[in-house]
Amino acid sequence: MKQKIAITLLGAVLGLEISLPSSAQEAQSDIGTLDKGKAERAFGTKPVYSPYASRKFPTRPLFGDTHLHTGASMDAGAFGARIGARDAYRLARGEEIKASSGQPVKLSRPLDFLVVTDHSDNMGMFPDLFAGKPEMLADPTGRKWYDLIMSGKGSQAALEIIVAFSNGRLPKPLTYSPDSRPYKNAWLDNVAAAEEYNQPGRFTAVIGFEWTSNTGGNNLHRNVLFRDNGDKASQIVPFTVEKPLGSDNPRDLWKWMTAYEQKTGGSVLAIAHNGNLSNGIMFPLIESFTGKPVDKEYVEQRAKWERLYEATQTKGDGEAHPVLSPTDEFANFERWDFGNLDASVAKSKDMLEFEYARSALKNGLKLEQQLGTNPYKFGMVGSSDAHTGLAAMEEDNFFGKTTPQEPSPERATATFVSNPKTNIKVMDWQVSSSGYAAVWATENTRESIWDAMQRKETYATTGSRMTVRFFGGWDFTAADAQTRSPAMAGYTKGVPMGGDLNRAPSGKGPSFLVAALKDPLGGNLDRIQIVKGWLDGKGELQEKIYDVVWGGDRKPGADGKLPSVGNTVDVANATWTNTIGASELIGVWTDPAFNAVERAFYYVRVIEIPTPRWTAYDAMRFGIKLLPGTPVTVTERAYTSPIWYTP
Amino acid sequence: MTRLLKEPLLHFIVLGAALFGLFNLVNQKGAEQPAKIVISVGQVANLADGFARTWNRLPSQDELRGLLEDHIRAEVYYREAKALGLDRDDAVVRRRLRQKLEFLTEDMVAEPTEAELQTFLTANAERFKSDDRFTFTHVFLSDARRDGLEPDAAAIATKLSTAHAEADLGELGDNFLLGYEFRDVPRSSITQTFGDEFVAKLSKLELGRWEGPLASGYGMHFVRISDHVQGGLMQLDSVRTVVRREWMNERRLQAEADLYRALRERYQVVVEEPPAERAIDAKVSGVSQ
Repeated sequence: MKQKIAITLLGAVLGLEISLPSSAQEAQSDIGTLDKGKAERAFGTKPVYSPYASRKFPTRPLFGDTHLHTGASMDAGAFGARIGARDAYRLARGEEIKASSGQPVKLSRPLDFLVVTDHSDNMGMFPDLFAGKPEMLADPTGRKWYDLIMSGKGSQAALEIIVAFSNGRLPKPLTYSPDSRPYKNAWLDNVAAAEEYNQPGRFTAVIGFEWTSNTGGNNLHRNVLFRDNGDKASQIVPFTVEKPLGSDNPRDLWKWMTAYEQKTGGSVLAIAHNGNLSNGIMFPLIESFTGKPVDKEYVEQRAKWERLYEATQTKGDGEAHPVLSPTDEFANFERWDFGNLDASVAKSKDMLEFEYARSALKNGLKLEQQLGTNPYKFGMVGSSDAHTGLAAMEEDNFFGKTTPQEPSPERATATFVSNPKTNIKVMDWQVSSSGYAAVWATENTRESIWDAMQRKETYATTGSRMTVRFFGGWDFTAADAQTRSPAMAGYTKGVPMGGDLNRAPSGKGPSFLVAALKDPLGGNLDRIQIVKGWLDGKGELQEKIYDVVWGGDRKPGADGKLPSVGNTVDVANATWTNTIGASELIGVWTDPAFNAVERAFYYVRVIEIPTPRWTAYDAMRFGIKLLPGTPVTVTERAYTSPIWYTP
Repeated sequence: MTRLLKEPLLHFIVLGAALFGLFNLVNQKGAEQPAKIVISVGQVANLADGFARTWNRLPSQDELRGLLEDHIRAEVYYREAKALGLDRDDAVVRRRLRQKLEFLTEDMVAEPTEAELQTFLTANAERFKSDDRFTFTHVFLSDARRDGLEPDAAAIATKLSTAHAEADLGELGDNFLLGYEFRDVPRSSITQTFGDEFVAKLSKLELGRWEGPLASGYGMHFVRISDHVQGGLMQLDSVRTVVRREWMNERRLQAEADLYRALRERYQVVVEEPPAERAIDAKVSGVSQ
């Protein structure tokens, strides 16, 4: 059996080499480059012994943050963030830096990639004294300053320029005037920073920005991620919201994305976030801009550009809501459902359906039936949305959402937002130390990561770095969970997360291979669940959650409910033990209620055992008393992109 | 600080300044002579250019008119607000301006010369060493699948010591989701998968024999390394962009510190003594309780 797979893969490798021009005769994996010479040595005259030698599928998930603000974001800067893109990359790649609050900060281990997504509106202009000003050099004083800079005495030049300004002794060619463009756009500086820190194979700096549509305080934000390098990204300026140049309507963002690709030949995708703060307009059936049902163009464009959804972040979890999923015992997680983003309008229950990932995935099935395209066929990622320049989302190393929320004895009891008019008050303890994006990319490069996002081979975590595999097909059997390489079985016999299953073979239901491995530094795993959503024969949307594999000797009760895994957290000391749950879980699950004519999706949710929440670490380290109602434990989790079934 | 903000005198001064500003504004403009806003040809071109960079086409007449109208509106508000002194004592404005000045120094770091890069690389050679690379196989013992790891580990150690190279290792250990053979993998990537401590131990093992078990966050691992390529010192040609980046970063931090020191010297700062009754505050904050 193993040998058969080896031969199949060998054939695939050789086939690839024959069909590609010589410059592309390389098979990439995260364990290095398999070039033709090496392949020949390895494959030589006899089939290779090792079935893993020629694997080309991703072998390790890459972890990153697709949503981080630095001081160049106006709100972040206003809150006191001074960390720029360069320092943000330095922290993400594993170095120690000094946070805006002055404290040293370092991640427990490096991230694989980072996307700095500053708000495109008001990104700002920064002084650029010498760019495009030849007359500067003709002026003796200008020349002197230029020479100082060139000889490494830039700060002396800066000082002299400042003094000259303040005394009104600035040489004429240097006088600022609006049409002389002595400023450069902060965007170009962000692009330059990404170029400096992008190190293919080691650490990827993906270029991106956030388009922050927020009319009436209703959050329609999207992050835009570039597959491209700076040569393309610097040809444009990011799309903004403020009129007359920008627009708050996502349809206009999609037009901008089209124009970008046409102009540069590049590639972009968008990731929406915080539907929970949109007050019912993130995943519409009726468009808020027109009051009309979404049409063919809307669903097609949205499906084309919005490949992923950020399902968990600091401002609350967006997977599911207990009102929408009353029987889901894990739905009530890091909930932010008070109102819209600026707390100007309170939440009503009818809004929820159009705010959460699971209900959107369900409504998407219905829209697909009506309009031919599913606009809400998105994959999942988590990210921070931190406004500190610090992608530090571990519970024991949480550096907050904004700069005033960096670690301090006060933060656990401070107020995040308060609106006396609506009587909405959100406390800082409600801010969630979440999350990260996991991407099954074959190598750590911009192209490979972006391509994995485009095909939705991603999952969201709430800050944990657990490994999650998920494959769907028609032929998985229990034995596939026992093989030495479940991934090979997965890719050979099925499709990975984000993929599609179509037209069931007669008499067969889909089977799924699921596996999870704990974060090496994190808590054990409680269970793996599969969430199924479908459109039944009566046109009604349904959902059901199945416990597939779990740790320990637990048996579901008469009601089908799996008993709780327990809790080992010592709150006072902010510790736990991995004596419950399991370090890894794997299994094959077949849908017991499959109906071949009904549209459906399946995604995996992995739940960790309870561990201390950041508030518990704060209470312990600062010796403070938390406010009543502050949660002190958390069950970290992962949500994979779904696999869709279409009849 | 908050106490200062509550000070009525401060309120009076701020209000006074604002009124003074308003008075000046009204006075200087007079009734008959409106102030002038001149939009230069260059500015119009800038607006059109910004549009073109966003939309990949030039604005229409209507669109350009819209851009101009918005620009004029912004200019009017900017002037009036500044005249009123609304930019003063505003934390957001202060932070933004500070940011801009700091950026100015960043912008004044010149490109390094070849010689500077070489000197920097030589002085920091360790920082630019290439990563160690490992090729190894492991036999995994899962916490989850075994009741006691130690007795099993002892039994497996014995078997491994006598096993042939081709022995079916799958029979000995447990399945491991991230694989068994790691070929030519950089140290950084192994750290991501197995953790710091594991890699620290790994780099001390002998080649070509089964060693261990080593503990990781998942369980225990018997490891056989077949190749360990030590990271080496790098020539400038192969690490130029990274050396440049690090050089620029050091200069950036240095320039910022230098500029602040130099600017700070231009000021004599007087921090006024708090009034005597401020001692009462100490009691409230719990010091004397």
